[in-house]
Amino acid sequence: MKALYITIGLIFLTSLCDTINQLFLKSSINAISFNVYKPGEIVKFILKIILTPRVWLGFLFTVASLCIWLVVLSRADLNLAFSVDSMHYILIAVASMIFLKEKISLLRWIGISVIVFGIILVTVS
Amino acid sequence: MTEFSTKKVTAKLFLLLVFSDVLETVTHVCFKKSVSAEMAFTFSNAGAFFSFLHGVMLSPFLWLGLASVLITFIIWTLILSRIDLSVAVPIASFSYILIPVVSVIFLHERISLIRWLGIACILSGVILVSMSSGSKERIPGE
Repeated sequence: MKALYITIGLIFLTSLCDTINQLFLKSSINAISFNVYKPGEIVKFILKIILTPRVWLGFLFTVASLCIWLVVLSRADLNLAFSVDSMHYILIAVASMIFLKEKISLLRWIGISVIVFGIILVTVS
Repeated sequence: MTEFSTKKVTAKLFLLLVFSDVLETVTHVCFKKSVSAEMAFTFSNAGAFFSFLHGVMLSPFLWLGLASVLITFIIWTLILSRIDLSVAVPIASFSYILIPVVSVIFLHERISLIRWLGIACILSGVILVSMSSGSKERIPGE
């Protein structure tokens, strides 16, 4: 039972790391104005993103998340791992609201909650 | 500061999201295959952790997974240049629908009622979140 709690804690940690990474990436993208969708411009945009230090900081969190995730997968089966991981969606929504100042309407909250509920149903069944 | 508003989720963006999702699934399968059951990780000591990492790094699946991570990153970056994070991430949950549906069509697997209910929930959630995207604010450069 204690092992299960450790596993769930680890899954939460990977979600947290992923969320931090997404925040760094999205805030870097927001800082770069990008509207022209031509192959050359896209390459330039990707290069700009890759050269942003914050993106690499986020990348470190992804590496940490990946290492923890590998540990989780060696201990738990994919179903449990994914169903607990669904709280990731709530975490992303709260973080987007606080740090990225995204306006989350009631409709979006309901949508996110329904998705989390659905994921739990799909992964548990 | 420029107000960065986001566009509505178009069919093209949706397909891109689904594609990045499929790639992410490929990543997960690769990573799961890179850790074999007999190397189940224990919290004994640091040495055990490093020998675990070493074993994982020798697996070709890890590297296949990492390549897929790179491509996903590029696609994901393009998506996020268009829409809110709190829209993109929930819509990416579409893969939870994709996998069961694909396994029904191609593997003739049976899906329980509860799972169908879950799929219906995710689908309605994705539609709701998509509907909530696209603000009335001005879009820079347009």
